[in-house]
Amino acid sequence: MVTSFTLDDLMVIEASRQIQDENIVLVGTGLPMVASLLAQKLHAPKMCYVVETGNIAPEVIPTPTSVCDPRVMYKAIKHGSLLDSLGGILQRGLADIAFLGGAQIDEYANVNSTSIGDYSNPKVRLPGSGGANDLASHAKKILIITRHEKRRFPKNCDYITSPGYIDGPEGRKNAGIPSKYPDIIVITNLCVMEIDKKTGKLVITKLMPSISIDDVITNTDFEPLIQSSINVSNPTQKEIDTLHNEVDPLGVYLKKNNPINN
Amino acid sequence: MLNKIIDKTMNPKDAVQEFISDGDTIGIGGQSIGRVSTLLAHEIVRQQKKDLTLVGCNLSLSMDLLVGAKLVKRTECGSGSFERFGTAFQWRNAIQNNLIEFQDYSHLAMASRFLAGSLGIPFIPTKSMLGTDLLKKQNTNKINPFEIINNPWQKDEPVVLLPALQPDVSIIHAQMADKSGNIIIEGFTTHEPEMIKASKKVIVSCEKLIDSEFVKSHPEKISIPYIFIDAVIEQPLGGYPTSVYNYYEHDSDHILYYQEKARSGGKEYSNYLDEYIYNCKSFEEYIQKSAGTNKIKALKDSMLKLL
Repeated sequence: MVTSFTLDDLMVIEASRQIQDENIVLVGTGLPMVASLLAQKLHAPKMCYVVETGNIAPEVIPTPTSVCDPRVMYKAIKHGSLLDSLGGILQRGLADIAFLGGAQIDEYANVNSTSIGDYSNPKVRLPGSGGANDLASHAKKILIITRHEKRRFPKNCDYITSPGYIDGPEGRKNAGIPSKYPDIIVITNLCVMEIDKKTGKLVITKLMPSISIDDVITNTDFEPLIQSSINVSNPTQKEIDTLHNEVDPLGVYLKKNNPINN
Repeated sequence: MLNKIIDKTMNPKDAVQEFISDGDTIGIGGQSIGRVSTLLAHEIVRQQKKDLTLVGCNLSLSMDLLVGAKLVKRTECGSGSFERFGTAFQWRNAIQNNLIEFQDYSHLAMASRFLAGSLGIPFIPTKSMLGTDLLKKQNTNKINPFEIINNPWQKDEPVVLLPALQPDVSIIHAQMADKSGNIIIEGFTTHEPEMIKASKKVIVSCEKLIDSEFVKSHPEKISIPYIFIDAVIEQPLGGYPTSVYNYYEHDSDHILYYQEKARSGGKEYSNYLDEYIYNCKSFEEYIQKSAGTNKIKALKDSMLKLL
C-alpha cells in the first residue's frame, strides 16, 4: 500500500508510463522533464533525452529551471544546436515522443501557446510557439501534461499554435503534416484523454482515483466523449519514492501537499 | 593560411557605434536564461539605436530591454520567454498595446531561415507550421512570411517555403574568442551557428580572450572561424544575469527582479533602465549594483559544481 500521493504526482507518474525503453524523447523542463526522468529511472533506462537547445542524452541533475540550465547539459553525449535537435532529429522523423504544454487545448487536441483573444489585438500575449509547433508536427506520439481547468479546455483555441488533429480524423493528413496520425494523450490531474482516431477528437479513457466523469465534464468547456471510465492505476511505492527522492527531491515541481491517503 | 592576426578587438561603445545603425535588422544571440548578450544589448540601449527589427528564436532579456527602451519596430521570432521566469513582459506589453509589429514562426522555422541565409540561398522548405494559425493568421502583410507549394517530386505534398534571413548585424556572447574573431561556444549553441554565418556583420563579446596560437593547435574546438566576425570584445560576465556554461549560473534573484519591473512597466520600468543602464558608467558598475562580488562568486562556484 502506498502511503500517500497527490493527483499531481499521479498525473506525472501516468505520463512517465507512456514512455518506453529506447524511445527518443524531445523534452524541455517542467512536468514533462519530471515525467521523462522518472521513466528513465524506472522502466526506460535507455531512453534518449533530447533538449531542443541541442543537448543529447544528458544525465539530468535535479532540478533544472530552463532548457539552458547546465543541469540539463550534465554528462550529455553531445552539446549541439537547435537545428540538430528540431531539424536533424525531430523533423527528420526520429522523435518517438514529444511533450507539449499550452494555455488552451481544444477538443481536437490543438494547442494554443500564442495569444488569448484576437491575435493582432490580444487580450493576453503568451510566449509563442517556441519549438512546440515543431514537436507537434513531427513526433510520432505527443504527450500533454496539464492541470485540468475549464479555461484550459475551450471548444476552440483562440489561436492554433501546435497542431492536434486540426478539425477531424484526416485534419493532419489534409494539411500535409508529416506525422499524420500520431497518438495524442492528454494527462491531467482529473483524467486521461486520448485522440480517438475515428473522430479526431479527445475522448476520456481513464479517470484519476476519486474523480468522477461529472468532475471532468464540469471542468471542461468542450464536451468530451467518454470511451471508458476505468481508473488510472495507483502509484507504486517505488514510483512515489523515485519521484520525490530522486527526480524532484527539492519539491520544485511537485509539492508534498494535499495527499490522498490511500 | 592566416599568417598575420587581424586584430578586431574593440570596446562595446565603438563596436555598436560602428556596426549598428538605426533601422537595422539585428540577430539576437542566446536563449531564454542562457548566454544572452546583455553587454551589447545595454550598449545599444545606451546609444539609442532606433527602429530596429529583432530576429532570433527564443528571445528574452536582450529583446525585452530593447523593446522596453522603445527602440524596436518589429520582431520576428519563435518565442518571447524566460521559461519559468515568465513571458518577456515588455515585449508582451508592446504587442498588447499595438506598439510593435511582430511575426511569429516556430523555432525550427527561424533556425531554417538563418540556415538559408548562411548558405546564400533565397528560401528553404520546412514541414513545420502546416495546418496551424502560424500560417493562417498574420499581424502585418508588409513582408510575405512564407509560401506554400507542392513538392515538385511528390504529388500532393504541401511544403512551406520560408524566406532566407540575413541580419544586418548579430550580437552574441560566447565563452572565448581570439583577437581575430575565431570563437568558441561551449555548451548548447541554439540558433547561433546559422545566424552568425548568415549575418552581414557580427559583434561578439566573450568571457575570455584566447591566444591565436591556441586556435591553431585546437582547430576542432572552433565554433565559428574569424571570417564571419567583425568585432571582438572581452567582457567577463557579459552574459549576466543569464548563465554562461562553464563560467557562471544565471542569477535568479536579478532575473526575478527584472521580470517584476518589466511586468509592472511605466515608471518602475524606466527607473530600472535608469538605474541599471543609463546611470551606469560601465558594465562593471551594473554588475556590482545588481549582484556584487559575493553573489558573482557564488554563481561561479555553483556552475563549477554542475560540470
